[in-house]
Amino acid sequence: MSHKFSRRKFLRNSLLGTGAMTLGFPALNVQAAEHKVRCGVVTSLSGANRFGGNLTRRGYDLWAEEINKLGGIEIAGKRYPVEMFYGDAQSQPASGADAAERLIIQDEVDVLFGPYTSGVTLAVQPISAKYRVPMISGSAESPNVWLAKPPFNFGMIPAVDLTTDKSMVVLADNLGDRAKTASVIGVDEPFSKETAEGFRKGVEESGLELLSYELFPANSDLSAIVSKLKAADPDIVAVGGHESVFINFVNTAKALNYKPKALIMHYGVTSAAFINETGKESHGILGVAVWTAGLPYKDELFGTASDYSDLSFSRWGTRPDYTEAACSASGLVLQDAARRLGKAPPWNQETRVQLTEAIEDTDIETFYGPVAFAKEGSHFHNNTKPVPAVVQIKDGDVVPVAPENASKGELVYPIPGAS
Amino acid sequence: MDLFLQTLVNGILIGGILICLTIGFQLTFGVLHVIDFAVGGWTMLGGYTAYWLVTLAGIDPFISIFLVFALFLLIGRGLGPLIYHVRTSRYARPDLMALAFTFGIFLFMRGGALWLWSYNSRSVESVLSGQFLTLGPVTIPLLRLSAFLMALAFSLGLFILLYRSRFGMAVRALAQNRDHAGLMGVDVKRVSAWVYGIYTGLTASAGVLIATIYSVNPTVGIRYTLFAFFVAVLAGLGSVGGVLVAGLILGLLEAYVATYIGARYSLLIVFGTLYLALLVAPKGVLGRGI
Repeated sequence: MSHKFSRRKFLRNSLLGTGAMTLGFPALNVQAAEHKVRCGVVTSLSGANRFGGNLTRRGYDLWAEEINKLGGIEIAGKRYPVEMFYGDAQSQPASGADAAERLIIQDEVDVLFGPYTSGVTLAVQPISAKYRVPMISGSAESPNVWLAKPPFNFGMIPAVDLTTDKSMVVLADNLGDRAKTASVIGVDEPFSKETAEGFRKGVEESGLELLSYELFPANSDLSAIVSKLKAADPDIVAVGGHESVFINFVNTAKALNYKPKALIMHYGVTSAAFINETGKESHGILGVAVWTAGLPYKDELFGTASDYSDLSFSRWGTRPDYTEAACSASGLVLQDAARRLGKAPPWNQETRVQLTEAIEDTDIETFYGPVAFAKEGSHFHNNTKPVPAVVQIKDGDVVPVAPENASKGELVYPIPGAS
Repeated sequence: MDLFLQTLVNGILIGGILICLTIGFQLTFGVLHVIDFAVGGWTMLGGYTAYWLVTLAGIDPFISIFLVFALFLLIGRGLGPLIYHVRTSRYARPDLMALAFTFGIFLFMRGGALWLWSYNSRSVESVLSGQFLTLGPVTIPLLRLSAFLMALAFSLGLFILLYRSRFGMAVRALAQNRDHAGLMGVDVKRVSAWVYGIYTGLTASAGVLIATIYSVNPTVGIRYTLFAFFVAVLAGLGSVGGVLVAGLILGLLEAYVATYIGARYSLLIVFGTLYLALLVAPKGVLGRGI
């Protein structure tokens, strides 16, 4: 069968083609106008850290939903909707790095929102630097994350050595002459050790006498440690560790008839799981929170910290902790930097570098608190501005008790029934 | 002196926990010649079962421990023939096959626990939680004391079973020589399966106590596997009697090192002691191991 050139066919096809192009043009035009800001979330959606990972996702998603209700991020007078893409780190650093690379290459994301754990964050940093994609981390509290001065990574939560240090100073100031001595214990593993070292630094800065500082392996029986604390009887006991260590400490102390006058722990102590599992024993325990719903912060998108808490509760059914809040505030940082940059997405590599520089210059107030990233030093690109609140568990509720501007209740000292 | 005495009590009571954990493990090694990597998994599942029984049905762990024993006895009895099959298979290195197989079971248990109970640690409340006896300067936590007494009861029960019953005689014959025992009329497969059942029952019961003393989460299993292995090596693999002595030695060592040298060195010194023990007494503290 042969195909003959026909002038009539040619004219007909040309006419149809021209018509289709004419009709299709507005559609193409509309598509160009509907460019989106493509955001990739690398976090642990499965594996051991999937609960924490899903907390970060909730925080990022809540921001995306709220900003999209307004039509998206405002850049140079136009709004660009946000589209979220997810990469599961599977609670493994190597998988996190792979997921980040997939998001950048396959999904062509303009910006990354960072993982839940510091370990995965450290693994993803080189990927974000390699492709020059800025990454805003709403979690990751280890100071090690910032030591290598990651050029494209920014952290919303002050590193744990800063928060525990400041919280101990705040606590000591609040207690005044009532507390003179302190002991610090912690699990001998990266995050917990840094927490304990922060507490120790705070003890030294606040002029308290450090009676003992001891690290122990993650799976230790705590009876020996509790017995030593009971014998030394410090005014404040600070514990660096995770929730399971806190639970074991509280259970062991109770079994050995020891209740410190003040017991301060870090992340996890304010979680519903800890309060449920320790029951009445949690009453009076102190914790450190970078953010609580009672703080007097606000912004245009989320309103006050309390408004944010209500919004998150209505969306997810649980009250947000500071990790979720910091993740939502990560979006506010992107919003602000993109507005100042003034360039419409999609962003090429050069624009992403400019966006990174804009993020570096962030200096905003949000419902989560002030955000400004350190431009030098050992906490490079970490938001060091927030002052942590000391919270106390009172009959199952987490109540901020210090500093004064965040306080919603009186610091109970010593804990009722203290040894 | 007060701290010294308290440390002595702490050490003995830690020893009790270690004995509970290891005694079944040792029995199964002696008879089946399987180093069961799932020992920590059985401990964890025992703890979680007690958690469910106390939260859903309000059954105190000191009652549910008997239910847990019965349940896991049956589960282990059901799984026993499979373990026996793997251990006695004609493939190369069935000992390593059994090791890998039990490790696989352990991973399955851990994944299942994560799925069922999530990552959070769970406390198992008992009427004895937080209760203690005070003897002069020494505080004795009743939960730990009960674990110690349970360890003694486990040991006594096992000795009675092994030395005062026909089943025990068959088990001992099997431990000495499987082929000869079979030729003498012992149903090797059946007895091995029951031994595995007794092991899982005892270990899950130990898990109930351990979860009540500490807490339970899906990742604790590996810790208990390691500790069971430490005690078993010091006791001499397969030596049930050695477990009592080895458990107490390691408990006291851990407590005194943590109190007087530093808790961060406790595992280092425990490892060092095991290394020396293997050099000096490779058959364990009582010289009855394999």
